Amino acid sequence: MAEDKTNTKLRVVSSLAGAVAVRGLGHTYNTSGRVTQALADIELDIKPGRFVVIVGPSGCGKSSLLMMMTGLVAPTSGTILCGGQPMTAPDPDRVGVVFQEASLYPWLTAQDNVEFPLSLRGIPKSERAARARDKLALVGLTGFEDRYPHELSGGMKQRVSIARGLVQNPPILMLDEPFAALDEQTRISMGDELLRIWEETGKTVIFVTHSLTEAAYLADEIIVMSARPGRIIDRIEVDLPRPRTYAMMATPRFAELRERIWNQIKTQASE
Amino acid sequence: MTDAAAETGIRRQRVGGAGGLVTWAVALAVLFGTWQATLALGLMQPELLPPVGDVLATAFDLVRRPSFLGHVGVTLAEISVAFVIAVPLGVLLGIAISESPYWSQVLKPIVFLIFSIPKTIFLPMFILAFGITFGQKVGFGVFSTIFIVLISSFSALESIKSDHVRVARAYGATRSQIAWRVYLPSMAPILLEAVRLAMIFNLTGILLAEMYASRAGLGQLIANWGENFMLKELLAGILLISTAAILFNEAVRWFERKCEHWRT
Repeated sequence: MAEDKTNTKLRVVSSLAGAVAVRGLGHTYNTSGRVTQALADIELDIKPGRFVVIVGPSGCGKSSLLMMMTGLVAPTSGTILCGGQPMTAPDPDRVGVVFQEASLYPWLTAQDNVEFPLSLRGIPKSERAARARDKLALVGLTGFEDRYPHELSGGMKQRVSIARGLVQNPPILMLDEPFAALDEQTRISMGDELLRIWEETGKTVIFVTHSLTEAAYLADEIIVMSARPGRIIDRIEVDLPRPRTYAMMATPRFAELRERIWNQIKTQASE
Repeated sequence: MTDAAAETGIRRQRVGGAGGLVTWAVALAVLFGTWQATLALGLMQPELLPPVGDVLATAFDLVRRPSFLGHVGVTLAEISVAFVIAVPLGVLLGIAISESPYWSQVLKPIVFLIFSIPKTIFLPMFILAFGITFGQKVGFGVFSTIFIVLISSFSALESIKSDHVRVARAYGATRSQIAWRVYLPSMAPILLEAVRLAMIFNLTGILLAEMYASRAGLGQLIANWGENFMLKELLAGILLISTAAILFNEAVRWFERKCEHWRT
């Protein structure tokens, strides 16, 4: 009974850590005297453990928004809270990041690349190696630890990148169009992989994409953004059952979702 | 893509390994063969072009003469000191200049301009300023070398991917960690190339300075032998210096090949 209580407590504590909130976020930037508003009035409340997809037309600022949520870029107004604490700088213990280009270091092996965040913290080699191997196993790359990036396919590189994002066990994982550079078949299988990893780890996932299909297939909730200045124009709860299957893509419900997103975006894209 | 990379890797390795030695053997055979043939056909007088055997014998003799080894020591010292100054200084200056947008704009064009000027024309000025000393030769060596190091450093810094830096920042790296863990490995391939080129410029500059005016050193010997028609010694000297230069070059290239696997 005592054990149950502790477990519940841990779960509650850890679940608070996975919450993401954005309050009154706006962003303007200056290029040679001209002031451009990139983002306006962004409000988000993401519960821990949810898979949230942000979708919008090109140039709407969705990637910029994600960069701000990871702490890499500071917005000109508003706050971002991860786990209840403001994000003023990158914090890999709270948020793991996966970029569009896997950006693995070509002079390091897959395992060394996954160990990289830990090595920045001065964690000893034996512990780093064990944690890296564990995460590589999670992403299905056991046996590839000693390969160099140039020996890996695009999908495998992204999997290493995801392992790297997970190695410090942050409660939140943010991905910026991670599958955009992959071919269609790999995109589909990587999508399933990501869902499996998400279900196994229970993290909060924030996923930016321009693909309507990906949005509908992966998400619990879809945030639709307008063209610049990026505003949130729709929030869609996806009621498709889990686990998601490829066959669901042929259902009318799936088509409705896609159409709803597209209707919002196409009026934006033409403006 | 994986297969193509593996294939190219294998192809590259084959040429590097056994292919290298074969190329060497063929090159030497052609060189010595043409040499002897020229003599045998009467195209050159033996006074102007001693036979290969004589020159090789002289070379073996030279490397055991203390006076010769003394000169080798002088030149080696000048080369080493100039190299150890010019390369780190060039890299640090190159980084400092590139990191500042203002100084980049001002100094980079100047560096390229000066690089295009043949450094030899400055030799008389160096002698007037510093005399005929060890320091003067080192100074001239540094002057000859530093520009190629600067230019290579500019290029090396440009080759650093901003994505790589962003990843490091996303995982909380400090500025110094970014410099050591991202900048340096990214720059390594181009910097190794710079080391190779720097030594070529360095060696050329210092030998030239020694040939022009010096009390000691290999360059001074070469000039002496040439003026005094001591062809056997002259050619032996040329062979020895060439061999040393080529060995250094190949050593760096071997090192470069080890880094090659990540340089796309």
